[in-house]
Amino acid sequence: MRRGVLVRLVAVGLAAAAVASAVAFFVPWLPTPASKQADRIDFVFWFVTGISIAIFALVVAVILYSVVRFRARPDDDSDGAPIHGNTGLEIAWTAFPAVLVTAVAVVSAVALAQNENLPKKHLQVNVLAQQFAWSFSYPKYKGLTVSALHLPLNEAVELKMRSKDVIHSFWVPQFGQKQDLVPGITTKLVITPKRLGTYPVVCTELCGEGHALMRSEAIVMKPTAFASWVKAQERAAAKASQGPSGGGPGLAVFNSNGCSGCHTFKPAGSTATTGPDLDNLPADARRAGKPLSAFVRESIVDPNAYIEKGYQPNIMPSTFKSLPKQQLDALVQFLIGGKK
Amino acid sequence: MSAHAETQHAAHPPVAHQSSRVDARTLGMFLFIASEVMLFGSFFTAYFFIRVVNHQPWPPHPFHLPVFVAFVNTAILVTSSFTMHWSLQSIKRGNRVGLQAGLTLTLLMGLTFLLTQLLEYARIGFTPHDQAFGTIFFSLTGLHGAHVLVGLTILAAMTTRAYRGHFSPEAHNGVEIGGIYWHFVDVMWIIVFTTVYVL
Amino acid sequence: MTTATTAHDELHAGAAPPPHGWRRLLAPGWLRVPWMSALFFGIGLGITLLVRWAEGWHPIWDGQVITTIELVAVPFGFLAGIGGFDYWTRYAIGSPTQPEDHSGHGAYSWRDYFRINTDHKVIGVQYVVTTIFFFVAAGLLAMIMRAELARPGMQFVGNQVFNELFSVHAALMIFLFIIPAFAGLGNYVIPLMIGAPDMAFPRLNALSFWLLPVAGLLMLSSFFVPGFGCGWTGYAPLCSTHQELGAVFFNMGVQWAGASSIMTALNFLVTIITMRAPGMTFWRLPLLVWANFTTSLLVVIATPFIAGSQFMTMFDHIMHTNFFNYEAHGYVLGYQHIFWFYSHPAVYIMMLPGFGIASEVISTFARKPIFGYRLMALSLMAILVLGFSVWAHHMFVSGMAPWLRVPMMVTSVVIAVPTGIKVFSWLATLWEGKLNFSTPMLFALGFVSMFVIGGLSGIYLAAVPIDIHVSDTYFVVAHIHYVLFGGSLFTIFAGIYYWFPKMTGRMYDERLGKLHFWLTFIGFNATFFPMHYLGIQGMPRRVSDYAPRFADLNFFISIASFFLGASTLVFLYNMIVSWARGAPAPANPWRAHTLEWQVSSPPPVFNFDEIPQVVGGPYEYGVPGARHAVFNGDRVIEEEEVNV
Ligand code: HEA
Ligand code: HEA
Ligand code: HEC
Ligand code: CUA
Ligand SMILES: [Cu+2]
Repeated sequence: MRRGVLVRLVAVGLAAAAVASAVAFFVPWLPTPASKQADRIDFVFWFVTGISIAIFALVVAVILYSVVRFRARPDDDSDGAPIHGNTGLEIAWTAFPAVLVTAVAVVSAVALAQNENLPKKHLQVNVLAQQFAWSFSYPKYKGLTVSALHLPLNEAVELKMRSKDVIHSFWVPQFGQKQDLVPGITTKLVITPKRLGTYPVVCTELCGEGHALMRSEAIVMKPTAFASWVKAQERAAAKASQGPSGGGPGLAVFNSNGCSGCHTFKPAGSTATTGPDLDNLPADARRAGKPLSAFVRESIVDPNAYIEKGYQPNIMPSTFKSLPKQQLDALVQFLIGGKK
Repeated sequence: MSAHAETQHAAHPPVAHQSSRVDARTLGMFLFIASEVMLFGSFFTAYFFIRVVNHQPWPPHPFHLPVFVAFVNTAILVTSSFTMHWSLQSIKRGNRVGLQAGLTLTLLMGLTFLLTQLLEYARIGFTPHDQAFGTIFFSLTGLHGAHVLVGLTILAAMTTRAYRGHFSPEAHNGVEIGGIYWHFVDVMWIIVFTTVYVL
Repeated sequence: MTTATTAHDELHAGAAPPPHGWRRLLAPGWLRVPWMSALFFGIGLGITLLVRWAEGWHPIWDGQVITTIELVAVPFGFLAGIGGFDYWTRYAIGSPTQPEDHSGHGAYSWRDYFRINTDHKVIGVQYVVTTIFFFVAAGLLAMIMRAELARPGMQFVGNQVFNELFSVHAALMIFLFIIPAFAGLGNYVIPLMIGAPDMAFPRLNALSFWLLPVAGLLMLSSFFVPGFGCGWTGYAPLCSTHQELGAVFFNMGVQWAGASSIMTALNFLVTIITMRAPGMTFWRLPLLVWANFTTSLLVVIATPFIAGSQFMTMFDHIMHTNFFNYEAHGYVLGYQHIFWFYSHPAVYIMMLPGFGIASEVISTFARKPIFGYRLMALSLMAILVLGFSVWAHHMFVSGMAPWLRVPMMVTSVVIAVPTGIKVFSWLATLWEGKLNFSTPMLFALGFVSMFVIGGLSGIYLAAVPIDIHVSDTYFVVAHIHYVLFGGSLFTIFAGIYYWFPKMTGRMYDERLGKLHFWLTFIGFNATFFPMHYLGIQGMPRRVSDYAPRFADLNFFISIASFFLGASTLVFLYNMIVSWARGAPAPANPWRAHTLEWQVSSPPPVFNFDEIPQVVGGPYEYGVPGARHAVFNGDRVIEEEEVNV
């Protein structure tokens, strides 16, 4: 190969690499990391991106150069140079990618091991998924159960995750971590939040009709704020267990079954919008033409019996009909008690 | 829209060049058996997960497997492989009676095997939906049973042809290839028997 | 057409006269199909009811079970009716087989494409046309999907229908388009390329084709019989216990399509091993033949695994067995292991034949020998072997045994090495060539560049930490389409344009072909490149509704996808009009060396009057005096030429 050819080829290659690099750097590809694990994932991502840009630029350079330089003239019926191969080149392009992918594998393996590493001092949260709702409970705080994940800043958490029915998958894009929840086994995930804020919890494994709606939130709080949040929750729970004066035992049932993951309901302090706002239950019951308490009970045990306008059937789980009668009564009481 | 040039060409295909010593039909049968082995492989994988990965005792309480009946049945099937071999050797030597007798015996033994297995199913005391154990027991033995049925169909065709005067010392390919399948069904049973009943 | 008729009559000389009157109902063909299907329907129903009654299973009339049985019985009735089993039935009952009169061979009018035909060239055309039909159907489903996704919230379809849309879209694209389209092209050219008069088992070949419409119909109906909304991957337990009857249609569709591809693969292997022309050693095989050889090995070994996995979900569904029911000690993740043990090799089943087509096209239009021929063939074999050891890279976040991840990552990224060898060899083949940019070449070059992007995103996915972040997001959707559309489909387009003159005897319109390429190339990148970004940012796949912040980009993607869809119209128009009215094609418009170009366009019914003698490699462009093959009486073989 002549010198000039090489120079021109390298020039085309550099141009292609420059374009690709510009796309890589000026587009904000990655979400702002909110966990230590996401930082390491980002590092692997950029490492692979560097290699990819080099490979891509090489391929594009050779194609573009050949397309321009070796184009046959319309009346040229002759053949190209009868080259059958070149052992040196062939060895080079076997060995070179082998080295690069080994590097990718090593970097990935190290990052993976670090991301899985769980410090002794950590918080454990049990995650339970069902079609199509999340619930999170804190064994450390007497099994406190809520439908949005609250986490203290800079403390490693271990999520122990189970599923009631089909496979779901827990993902918070800003945390970078993802793990399936599989019926019959308990899976684990380690996250160390490092930025305050509220982030979406997304179900990423197709789990049926409501898969697109199976969302919740992960809220990272200052440790002090987290502590007072826990206190407030515990107080509410204690009050609830004392009788109908507070939320009643219904509040605990409401939170631990994931109702607050889908419904807005002021007495429970929930703000989700997948299902109808339960503060409007009396009006909805009137529209359905049923007495309030019967309507509420029916809506829980047989959600498809009446579909609120603007919402879809088969989204609300139909598993609540197996709630113990006593809990169901408490739940209904709680829902209508809030108004009347 | 015709798929060939409209000039005149030979009305018969040229004889293809035989580029391998292996006979095409035999090779085809071996490849088919390879894919059959993999089909069994997928069910053995399920078996592996259910029994080994899930740490199940085997057979789990309260199930019982009729090992003795299955053992007798195994003996019948293994014997049928020998009669199959005998029939092939017979026609190679031009002995039509041997061919016919061998095939008939093989067919009968295959039928006995299948009927015994059906009886066993009826009396075994559990069903495919009793635990994953019942599922994998019935699916492995049932998959094999389906193969016995296919094997018997092939055997029936060969036997019919044998009685209607086909096959000769020069042309016994049909017997040979059908026989390979029957031997495969037999060997597969030994593996299924060992993993499900014995181990 | 007069000469054709003569040839036809001559072929039929000695054959029995066609039946008359009611006897026509007995002859294989479309008249026999309805009553045979009905008969088999009845038999299936009868046996089912009888067994349920005898066993005391209640209710005796169970719609799900009966439908499932009929999905086996009726297709058999159809195949028997069309004549797929006539020969074997006669063989089995020992009646004298009729001497082969070759009446089932060749096509003399369009009607011959609609019956059992044993000519590999007719079957090849049948395959390609059928698969394009399913491509259009699957593409239209994607269009509905993109319309729904153009804005957040719900527009046109409900959640469940959306799930069914992408499930059937993917199932049709994979099982009824990419895999059989390659099988069709291979069917047409492999016997020609190796110098054989036909495939090793022509009747089996015909049967494999007729399984396709059956499988396709089942998969299409899985959209109309509602209930198949669990993705083409059909994960248990969602697909085994939470879906309706449509899922069973999918299960059975996979069985029929799988049976078809196993039979074709077996046929390819036997043909390639036993029917090569004299002198056609393995090291003189065109790379397309090599590619189909390795692919067929993959198919024969891997496909039974998906058959197994679909049987298991189906049994869990209709018979309430417990393969994947953890409450009864079943093992949920077992499904994924079994499924991916097929479906990862399947992605190479969908790519290796494309590699073969790219090699043919690039060598021909660069007018150069393929660079590093032997390494090209060996790297196919390396991909075959490695392909079996990477299945769990689809399961990095599935909860499987954690120690499996790093080994699977290593084997996955190592596949980049043999694939890289192929990419670099194609590039080196271009170097110092005389490049002609006809449509096939454009698609081949488009393939190389787009496949590299798709392959590199595969490396991202194989790196476990990155996969943990982007698994099950639009990043994966982008990867899928870069490798399957930018990879497989571009090579299928290249192959169709390349062999169009050979298959139809007519030239396609070059201007429209180039237009098609550029529209597709632009539309494709505009549609699928932004999906990488969506996925990394946080948009999961398989959702009908998404966060408002993704709205603008999704709107752009939807518009681009309509543009991409419309570009297909150019292709369809070009194919139909050129087939009917294109300029007659010369025998060898591309001045290629492989054997299929050494016979007329389209080739004679039996391919060759005389089997050629192969004397050199298939790509000896620019080598003075080199020839790939000589035909008897064509030229005297000289000693030194044999060794070129
Ligand atoms: C034609 C089909 C095809 C092909 C060829 C590939 C090729 C590859 N695929 Fe892909 N893949 C799919 C089709 C395909 N894939 C589909 C359909 C899915 C989704 C299934 C679903 O869930 O629905 C999927 C999903 C998928 C996943 C799972 C993602 C997830 O769900 O989380 C992974 C993970 O490892 C992966 C990896 C790879 C790799 C490493 C390759 C490699 O073979 C690529 C090798 C090629 C190159 C790397 C480019 C050329 C090489 C060079 C120029 C040399 C130099 C390169 C380097 C040094 C890096 N693929
Ligand atoms: C070979 C494989 C192949 C091909 C060619 C395509 C082609 C296309 N695919 Fe598909 N796709 C898959 C394989 C393929 N896909 C797979 C395996 C999945 C994963 C599914 C899963 O998650 O289970 C998937 C998933 C998938 C998704 C993600 C769904 C989700 O996760 O929610 C989307 C979304 O945009 C999409 C879009 C498209 C589009 C717009 C095209 C276009 O290229 C189609 C263009 C073709 C046509 C439109 C038809 C012909 C055109 C005409 C007849 C002209 C007239 C029409 C108009 C002008 C509208 N595909
Ligand atoms: C996955 C989301 C989800 C969860 C979890 C959920 N719901 Fe619902 N809910 C819905 C949707 C969507 C509707 C509207 C459609 C319908 O009626 O089925 C609804 C409707 C209702 C209604 C009728 C409201 C009206 O105005 O018509 C009541 C009452 C109700 N839910 C109570 C509950 C209770 C109590 C729980 C917990 C035990 C719960 N929901 C859990 C999604 C959910
Ligand atoms: Cu739960 Cu998707
Ligand atoms: Cu894969």
